[in-house]
Amino acid sequence: MDRDLFSHIDTDLNSISYLSLNYDHFDSALSSIVSSPSAAPTPPGPNDSLVLRELIGRLGTICNNKSASVGAVDHSANTSCYSTPLSSPPKSSLHPLPNMNPNPNPMPFAPDPGFADRAARMPCFGGGPHMAMSGQLSRVSSSQSLMDAGMTGGVQLEGELPVRENGSGGRGANNGRKRKAGVKGKGKEASLASSGTVNSKISEEDQSAKRCRPDCKAGEKKGGTEEKNGNCSENNNGDRENKNDSDSNNANAKPVEPPKDYIHVRARRGQATDSHSLAERVRREKISERMKLLQDLVPGCNKVTGKAVMLDEIINYVQSLQRQVEFLSMKLATVNTPSDVNMDNLLQKDMPQACSGSMQQPLYRSAFSYPNQPQVAPLNSLLATNSIPNLGMQPSSNLPFDGFGNANPQIGGFWEDDLQSVVQMGFGQNQEAALSSQSFQGSGPSSSDMKIEL
Amino acid sequence: MENPLSEARQHSQTIIEERGKRIKLAAEIGLARSSSGRHWARALRRRLYRKPPQREYIVKNPTPLLKKEVPLVAEVVADVAEEKEEIEDKVRALQRLVPGGEEMEVDRLFEETADYIEALREQVGVMRALACILDGMESKDGDKL
Repeated sequence: MDRDLFSHIDTDLNSISYLSLNYDHFDSALSSIVSSPSAAPTPPGPNDSLVLRELIGRLGTICNNKSASVGAVDHSANTSCYSTPLSSPPKSSLHPLPNMNPNPNPMPFAPDPGFADRAARMPCFGGGPHMAMSGQLSRVSSSQSLMDAGMTGGVQLEGELPVRENGSGGRGANNGRKRKAGVKGKGKEASLASSGTVNSKISEEDQSAKRCRPDCKAGEKKGGTEEKNGNCSENNNGDRENKNDSDSNNANAKPVEPPKDYIHVRARRGQATDSHSLAERVRREKISERMKLLQDLVPGCNKVTGKAVMLDEIINYVQSLQRQVEFLSMKLATVNTPSDVNMDNLLQKDMPQACSGSMQQPLYRSAFSYPNQPQVAPLNSLLATNSIPNLGMQPSSNLPFDGFGNANPQIGGFWEDDLQSVVQMGFGQNQEAALSSQSFQGSGPSSSDMKIEL
Repeated sequence: MENPLSEARQHSQTIIEERGKRIKLAAEIGLARSSSGRHWARALRRRLYRKPPQREYIVKNPTPLLKKEVPLVAEVVADVAEEKEEIEDKVRALQRLVPGGEEMEVDRLFEETADYIEALREQVGVMRALACILDGMESKDGDKL
């Protein structure tokens, strides 16, 4: 039965695509589609997805072809809806939209749930005496309401229509995915929806896309889509780079599933669109994104290209950092300090979580722009943790300060980057009180405890 | 008879080594604490607390982690399979470096590596600063000991 439905639609679509871009023809084609709501109780299997994709592709083609004519149409309520998706280049298609980029054609118009009704009521829908169309639109609106009531499948289908399979506009990919889910998910409703969709696709694409989102989750649940139907999450248009969670989607998705479980993937033109390769592509892109992040972290990696070399650099860097830690710990062991310096506690002091991520460079630079100040307090607080006994330095003593003051010019260079870590080290929660009591001036606007003046 | 001076020197050397190890342990614990939410930090803590006296330091291992020689020039025309294997080797090496890396997928591994690098940098900074400060102090209080 599924096959029947699809093949029927298929045939109609074939005929449609060859017709002149004219609402009348479209009407006739649509009507035929509309009138064939064969129930498909069982959700279509995975192999149907291919058929669906093809379907969507063809519909997308149709819609794109119609863009010219439709764009010319002027409807008070429809204008925005029409213009947007149709303004996307109809057949440009060759530019593969990378998943990472935000959708270049986001839905500019706000979803208009009542649009279907309005459109249906408009006598001149399509700019002409298309009563049939409006009649069908009314059907659409009814089906819309049906869909709104919970048949999200149809809504999804609507979204697909204007979209070419290969992601012409922003919504394309999303809608494509949604459509599949919808059709698969809800047999009867899906068929209704599809018919309704075809009818009102032009008008409803906007709301479908938007509506799909909250509904999609419900809609796709049943979908045996092995594909990424995640779009139904809120980040429909712009977000293409989520992971592919198709399996988990299908297995136990609930209507209120958090959107983050859903992944949006757009099939690129000329690339395989089965779930595996798409998942693979998503994964690859994720990995490359992370590698870029690492590239920024590792110094001197900007000019390097290629995964292998980058990985080498990363490995070397991590190794060198680890070696530095080891070397420094040895060095600290050799430092002759007053014996009651408890180095272990110094280094083990919990770093305030707030500072672990942020590099408070500006604060530090400004703090360290202060020349030596006759304050032993920072040094004391730096070195003294709650468990460290007396370091032998009293606030009144000038020796440590002098030592520090002498060291300052020498270490001024490398302190810039490491200041924050110094502060972090010295400023456990217990230190905050000590620091605040010392009330350094000009410590900067930061309200965190990391205030040190030298 | 052994020169008592060298004995003393050796003894102090051992003391220093022991101290260094303890310090390094402390540093690693601090490192793990700084990003306690991270997988690598938890793995590091597990490792540290499991066998406190002997810790396996990859850094001490002189043999290079990468078995294959790295081509000096990026091979654009490299065989895909070869490349893949190369990259896999490197990924495995990275996994060994980052604590807890063996159990992660590549993308997660990269994420953890980024965080680990950041934490390491901070730790190095702390220790450097500390060493500097203490050096400065020492130069003044050298005779205090």
